[in-house]
Amino acid sequence: MDKWLEQERPVAAPVRLQDNRVMYQPLTASSQIVSDGFVHAENSIKEFFFPRTEKLYNYKFVGQDVELQDVTVEDAPRMVLFARPCDAASLPILDHVFNWDYKDEFYNRRRRATTVVTLACTEHDTHCFCTSVGLTPDSEQGSDVLLLPLGDGNFEVRMLTEKGKELFRDLVQTSDKTAQIPEGPAKKFDVDEVLQFLEENFDSPFWEEQTLRCLGCAACAYNCPTCHCFDIVDEGNACGGCRVKNWDACQFSMFSLHASGHNPRSIQAQRQRQRIQHKFRIYHEKFGTYLCTGCGNCGRNCPVSLGVLNVVEAIHRRTVKASEKD
Amino acid sequence: MLKQLRQICKELLEEGKVNAVIGYGQDAPGKPAYPIFVTQPADVTQLVWNSHCYNNLAVYLTQKRIRALYPKVAIIVKGCDARAVTVLEKDSQISREDVVVIGMACEGVGEPREPKCNACDVHMPHNVDITVGEVPNPPVTQEQRFAELNAFLKKTPEERMAYWKTELARCVKCYACRQTCPLCYCERCIVDKNRPTCIDTSATLKGNFAWQITRAFHQAARCVGCDECTRVCPAGINLRLLNQSLALAAENCFEFRAGMDAELEPVVGAYSLQDKENFIR
Repeated sequence: MDKWLEQERPVAAPVRLQDNRVMYQPLTASSQIVSDGFVHAENSIKEFFFPRTEKLYNYKFVGQDVELQDVTVEDAPRMVLFARPCDAASLPILDHVFNWDYKDEFYNRRRRATTVVTLACTEHDTHCFCTSVGLTPDSEQGSDVLLLPLGDGNFEVRMLTEKGKELFRDLVQTSDKTAQIPEGPAKKFDVDEVLQFLEENFDSPFWEEQTLRCLGCAACAYNCPTCHCFDIVDEGNACGGCRVKNWDACQFSMFSLHASGHNPRSIQAQRQRQRIQHKFRIYHEKFGTYLCTGCGNCGRNCPVSLGVLNVVEAIHRRTVKASEKD
Repeated sequence: MLKQLRQICKELLEEGKVNAVIGYGQDAPGKPAYPIFVTQPADVTQLVWNSHCYNNLAVYLTQKRIRALYPKVAIIVKGCDARAVTVLEKDSQISREDVVVIGMACEGVGEPREPKCNACDVHMPHNVDITVGEVPNPPVTQEQRFAELNAFLKKTPEERMAYWKTELARCVKCYACRQTCPLCYCERCIVDKNRPTCIDTSATLKGNFAWQITRAFHQAARCVGCDECTRVCPAGINLRLLNQSLALAAENCFEFRAGMDAELEPVVGAYSLQDKENFIR
């Protein structure tokens, strides 16, 4: 790790802040890294592939013309260390949308340049639900290397890609020990059941009953490893400026506001419905995968305890009730 | 206390005095409580009151959707939340006759106690319609209330700038601070204005400084110190320091504490011919 930092290669890892919370942060020293004593960082690793703000190009007004200047995308080798499996698993999911009708060069370059070293989970909390969306505490999706704690300070190392093999080539020893990873959170809902509910209940009063307390911030979306909406804005002055791509979120009332003043999602319940629909129906219809890894960050960060899990569990309870009636 | 609270709410709903009670619910003991809207007298059993009741429910009083669904509401408040209701009233954002304010005697929230609760002198809420419970209001000096800020202000300007640069670098502009704030009630926030753009929407250091400083100034002599913005910030930024520095200025320059006294006119937003400043006359 020190070698990477000496070479000024960017490394991001979980770091403990002054107020005791753990967040993925760019490292300045290897001593900052924390590997245990927490369930999940408050944020996700998506920022290192899809930054919260990113320059697309610069522009300059020259007389009647506009001059455009490309920006360079940094693609020097970099690393995300001690990602959680639910974070790493978001990357193959995001690959779909960033390579769909338009191939996002910025995202793809960062993706190619980054080695993801994941640490399997040995703990979970009430917010975790990876097992309900088809993942486990030692899922390998999206990781270049998966580390499984052996309990004695050493790790079982699974080198999953060429990038991973390259990184760990001289760092591993052969051993017959294998790690025992706990099962993870009990399954909390059935995604197929949720999908069916979403298909049949677009206009249900359910949405407002469940989500009236939502305050409309983006603490859920911005800390979600899979939410990927963005806004493109110009920032500059009369002489020129730059066009930037910034995170945006469907929970903001401004997100769907038309220039005419009409807002097709005029109340918060419709915005909550959109978020759940996108995660469990729309993305699945388009790309065959759910837009959720069960990391639980939405619930962990919600000011009013209304994460995806709360809504989906309510769907589950409702479906169970309905089937009992039959 | 809880029994009494539930009884009061039940009667208000039964007598048709309110369409809904905005209170706290909880999935299990020890878990965070969250806002609930009780509309049926039988459902008052869902209401809880304990040290997990963090939210400042006054935020819902200005929401259009809540007003449309429930023209008359009862709201459960702590001392700090009650101050926010008072500011909303003084800012002409709510009609007090549409709101029944139920003030809870509060000894603080959080385990351990939230920083705001350590030097609180409104354990008993002011300007409420019904009070539930009784706890003494401990004598607290201004020095105690601003202890954290005063310690911070002892640092050099360079040290403070370095601190804010590190802290605000983590802001992702999720606006949880704004959305949980009962006094951030602007229909269109200045940061959402784009014709022209007033504040960079980018979550860069420049955009973040512009946003957080502007918000703090908009809260000058209005922030009641409920500290929801700091509690909910996913990046753990101590916004309390910004808000407190403006609150301290309001106290020192105008002897004014927002929402403490419903008789006093607000510092910002009140006009007087007797104003000592010439420019305003």
